[in-house]
Amino acid sequence: MDFTFSEDQLLFQDSVRGFLVNEISPERLRAGWETDTGRDPALWQQFAELGLTGITVPEEHGGLGMDAVDFVLLAQECGYVALAEPLVNHALVAVPLLQDIGGELAARWLPLAATGEARIIAAVEQNLMVEDAHVADLLLLEREGQWFALEQGQFSCERSESIDPGRRLYTVTVPAGAAPIADGERASALRSASLNRGALGCAAQALGLAQRMIDLSVQYTAERKQFGKAIGSFQAVKHHMANVAVRLEYAKAPVHRAAYAVAEDAAGAALAVAQAKLMACEAANLAAKNSIQVHGAMGYTWEVDLHIFMKKAWALANTWGDAGWHKQQVAAVIFADGAALGAGATFQ
Amino acid sequence: MKLSFSPEDELFREEVANWLADNLCGEFEPIRFRGGPGDEHSFVEERKAWEQKLAEGGWTCIGWPKQYGGRAASVEQQVIFNEEYARAGGPGRMGHIGETLMGPTLIAFGNAAQREHYLPGIRAGREFWCQGYSEPSAGSDLANVKTRARFDEGTGQWQISGQKVWTSLAHESQYVFVIARTDPDSSAHKGLGFFLVAMDQPGVTVRPIEQLTGTSEFNEVFFDDAVCDADDIVGAPGEGWKVAMGLLGFERGVSTLGQQMLFQNELDEIVRVAKANGAACDPALRQRIAEAHIGLRIMRFNSMRMLSGGGDDGSLQKEAMIYKLYWSSWHRNLGKLAMDVLGAESEIVPEAPYGLSRLQSMYLFTRADTIYGGTNQIQRNIIAERALGMPREPRG
Repeated sequence: MDFTFSEDQLLFQDSVRGFLVNEISPERLRAGWETDTGRDPALWQQFAELGLTGITVPEEHGGLGMDAVDFVLLAQECGYVALAEPLVNHALVAVPLLQDIGGELAARWLPLAATGEARIIAAVEQNLMVEDAHVADLLLLEREGQWFALEQGQFSCERSESIDPGRRLYTVTVPAGAAPIADGERASALRSASLNRGALGCAAQALGLAQRMIDLSVQYTAERKQFGKAIGSFQAVKHHMANVAVRLEYAKAPVHRAAYAVAEDAAGAALAVAQAKLMACEAANLAAKNSIQVHGAMGYTWEVDLHIFMKKAWALANTWGDAGWHKQQVAAVIFADGAALGAGATFQ
Repeated sequence: MKLSFSPEDELFREEVANWLADNLCGEFEPIRFRGGPGDEHSFVEERKAWEQKLAEGGWTCIGWPKQYGGRAASVEQQVIFNEEYARAGGPGRMGHIGETLMGPTLIAFGNAAQREHYLPGIRAGREFWCQGYSEPSAGSDLANVKTRARFDEGTGQWQISGQKVWTSLAHESQYVFVIARTDPDSSAHKGLGFFLVAMDQPGVTVRPIEQLTGTSEFNEVFFDDAVCDADDIVGAPGEGWKVAMGLLGFERGVSTLGQQMLFQNELDEIVRVAKANGAACDPALRQRIAEAHIGLRIMRFNSMRMLSGGGDDGSLQKEAMIYKLYWSSWHRNLGKLAMDVLGAESEIVPEAPYGLSRLQSMYLFTRADTIYGGTNQIQRNIIAERALGMPREPRG
């Protein structure tokens, strides 16, 4: 039993964190809200140069051949900067899905995914809208139990605005006569696996978002003075942050555990992911609530950056299965007759 | 990262399960599933006998180094032992303070003579310890200890005077470890010593405190020139705080795994009740049970993460501080959940006079969880100041 990440994994996380924090300032995010696509091809190219677009692409297709355990720490860092580019979907959901699909489609697109020439996006019925469909060179879409592979230009999409100005959401219409690439049980297996990966990506980003909001709040409450003292010295203020710190710290192990289950394709992966997403998104939402409170009226302004992270956390909590849906998954396991709950099964 | 047990570990599991099946029966049948949180006052003599049975089988102190009678069991093996122990309904451990707190403290901070003198009694399940930390004026402000220790040159012994309070199972223990002021002019965490004191002597008086459960598991302990030998101080005079805090570090380590398995038994019982009385069909209760289940899994994952060294900065301090706040809040919610699952039935005491059911005792006991061992409010201060680096609160 070993919960630690390897030195290489931690070093990769460090270097990606350094890059992201440097490149993706809140000002840059705000600027992105105003552009046509909201996405930045130059940034995507930099991801490609760092190996990130091909991180989960098998080596024979030009990627790094890494898995969900390798990527989960990087997804946290994407959350920390509220990254708008669809890297998590591409690397954690769409590329592994493409591998599962296999065949000619995979052979053609995986090398393009690795070099960053193609952005690949996956979405299942569970997602109300498809994120980043407008920049998807290849869209892998599940609708009514069938999977479709649609290239940009082969589908029409209509934008809806998200409460998170950094997100771009679309209603995608599958063209009449499009041939499904999978249906029946196979489609259902692909959907389950994609849901696990998508929810894991949300959970990992939520960890980063929560950390960012803690950092902003700790800094703000150390600087802001009332009654002649930094407000962070008051128990009523610091207890708000302590509560978040506990939730966040405790959400890490289940997220890492879920990443392992996803990487190993373990039987209990859906349960592990449900637990992880619930805990991580609760932590992020609590971070948002308490961070706004300790920022006082400043936290309610558009000018202060807090709401960027708060809204992203909120949006992620409700995508790839909302809290109610994931809780029902857990309840179904617990209340099943003969459920293995006790000794020997406590690591499920 | 590798999150599974090895084949050797699974063999170990079988060994533990077999031993428990062969031994936790007959005269020990009545104490299965007894003596847990809120039930510590029950079957004390039988549970002491059980400790000796465990010791004969080599199942006490399994995490200790072999030279002190342990098995040097790995973290995985200790997890497995605790899981199987709970599955078999192993009773609340009478020896847990000695095994998980005193022993590791002596191994880390004690000298050879102290280890030789005290460890065998703990290992054999014959000698039980209690913890002399809190005082009437030293609760959250633990360093405000008033109990004094004075070295008597004439007798060559330490003389201890003062009062401790909330001392769990003092009336069932042979020894107490005491923090006392060795320098009468000192204050706060300076000038303290950490003493090993026999309970059975004229200078020690134990008075039980009745709890809102109607039972007495903790006590006041009065020291009136109680004595211990010159060698019964762990560390030097003035180093008591360091030793006392080191001991608390063990409280948050492997010993947490056993506690989680007791929680698991409680949760299993709640699920059984919910299935039987229909509460499992109530969507609100169903969700809360699912949340409780997740919370317990999360504790388990975190213990494993912490024990395998998966903390952010390599040190476990942050998570160790966080653990108490998390489990105590979780357990308090579990107590409330148990009562809500029972519904109107939760009020009815099954046996007069005031013989509470296991879940009723648990519910009431969980109200202490968020207080003892550092209140939730104190924990939040510590987390905010030490883990998050927020500005310190002015202290008087």
